[in-house]
Amino acid sequence: MNGRQRILAAAARRPVDMLPVMPQIFGHAAVLAGIPLADYLGDGELVATCQVAAWRHYGHDAVFGFLDAAVETEAMGAEIAAKPGCYPHVVRSPFTVDADFAAVAPPDPVAAGRMPEVLQAIRLLRAAVADEALVVGCVQGPATLAAQLVGLEQSLFLAADDPAAYARLLDLATAVGVRYGAAQLTAGADLALIFEPVASSTVLPLSKFTDLVLPRLRTILAAFQRAGAVTSWLHVAGASLPILPFYSEAGVAIGSFDYCVSPIAARRAAPTLCLCGNIKPLSFVIDPPAEIEREVAALRAAMADGSGFILSSGCEIPPEAPPDRVMAMMAAAGRGGG
Amino acid sequence: MTSVPDAMDDLVRTLLAGDHGGAVRATDHLLAGGATPRAIVTGGLQRAMDLLDEKCTLEAFNLLEIMLVGRAVSAVVARLFPQGGDLAAPARGRFVIATLEGDVHDLGKNIVRTVLMGRGWSVTDAGKDCPVATLATAAEREGADAVLISGLITSVVPRVREVRAELAKRGLAHLPIIVGGAALRQSSPEDLNVDYVAQDAFDGARHLERLFGHRPAEATP
Repeated sequence: MNGRQRILAAAARRPVDMLPVMPQIFGHAAVLAGIPLADYLGDGELVATCQVAAWRHYGHDAVFGFLDAAVETEAMGAEIAAKPGCYPHVVRSPFTVDADFAAVAPPDPVAAGRMPEVLQAIRLLRAAVADEALVVGCVQGPATLAAQLVGLEQSLFLAADDPAAYARLLDLATAVGVRYGAAQLTAGADLALIFEPVASSTVLPLSKFTDLVLPRLRTILAAFQRAGAVTSWLHVAGASLPILPFYSEAGVAIGSFDYCVSPIAARRAAPTLCLCGNIKPLSFVIDPPAEIEREVAALRAAMADGSGFILSSGCEIPPEAPPDRVMAMMAAAGRGGG
Repeated sequence: MTSVPDAMDDLVRTLLAGDHGGAVRATDHLLAGGATPRAIVTGGLQRAMDLLDEKCTLEAFNLLEIMLVGRAVSAVVARLFPQGGDLAAPARGRFVIATLEGDVHDLGKNIVRTVLMGRGWSVTDAGKDCPVATLATAAEREGADAVLISGLITSVVPRVREVRAELAKRGLAHLPIIVGGAALRQSSPEDLNVDYVAQDAFDGARHLERLFGHRPAEATP
């Protein structure tokens, strides 16, 4: 099996030839290549070059056509800024809570902001890895993009104070995700990962997730399937145990779980889901390689039945992580460290 | 007319419901009935925070509900101290809080500040993206009893490790340093060179209660 076949088999809960490994390597690919993060985040060609180099170095199963979480909101008019060596953050959101969200059109991925760089990265990645590795795009989930479009606090207060207006904001975010993700699939991505940390159970009550977010995730994933996605992946950082049982009904095949979620509890909560996780991200920065190996061994033991499991970090591998820690994860997975 | 105990129950109920308008109305009712601001803080705000702590422990932390309660608490504090007076100036402890240089996220910090203020502690906010030296200077200036740091991104870990030495330069090496937030709670006190890693705002508040809760509050209006 090659990496793409291995991930797709795991996603379908079919047998695999070896443990699939899909660490969330985003900006770390730039650091590994000695490229300033700011350069990487504005240049699709550089993203493809660094991602392919990281893939060859570590030998994991996927490459990521992804810049950062601010791409969509920047394309919709947000002012963003970045500290040296850090991802950009939103300085000024593009909308206020009293905006007419129903009248706002989703941005054109071919022209808006840095979206074209993402599409370029995906095209180059597909050409470089052919079908040897999974090519993963990424969109922000509806609750996460909604939070960026008006501000996190404002979006949450809107959810409580004016649920109808919040629903219109979520609809706009959903339309953005559908259009942007479909463009990524057309460019050659195998799937568009939905990055939805604001749906975490530490942020939203379960009822808000099931009533407001879940139906829109279903809409996005159905649209991705129509656009040619070969599988589906939802990432919710932090606490996700209460919402994991709902992933399958939304059409999720691969569900991430963060370090704070017990793998046994996650499997119990979502028995038909392919689980993807959950090495503690900070371990890649502060712990010695032996600790990473211990964490991987414990995780493999917990997922002993072997089916429907992809080894990964619980969230993104921090860009500044020393490469020997990622290599330790690969080696402990029996993947030889590249 | 509603009795003061009933009105205090109303205040607690509206606070926990995140009903900031109702909480302000209940506060006005209590003030009209002769309750002092200090009595409203201890009998209303602190009681509500205790109950919220229990609820969050049982049902897991939920940011939206915490924010709604925090908004109601802030509205009541603004009503009680319209001149921006220090809610807890006479209280048991005084803390300085920040997110450190490189970390521009401040929602977690703001939640902690609100939870602590609701419990009657004094909290000075040194802001987000705060240099370590600025935080230490603020701790010295405010006569802080402890230094609190919230961190969402892993790249601030080296900055956190510098705080103890920066405090020591000012003769404050003895001050407890308590940290929390999505990135920092993945680590240990030893690794970060701090005294305690809180798993959430209430865990941090409970630790501060253990450290300073025995101090008697001064008599106030």
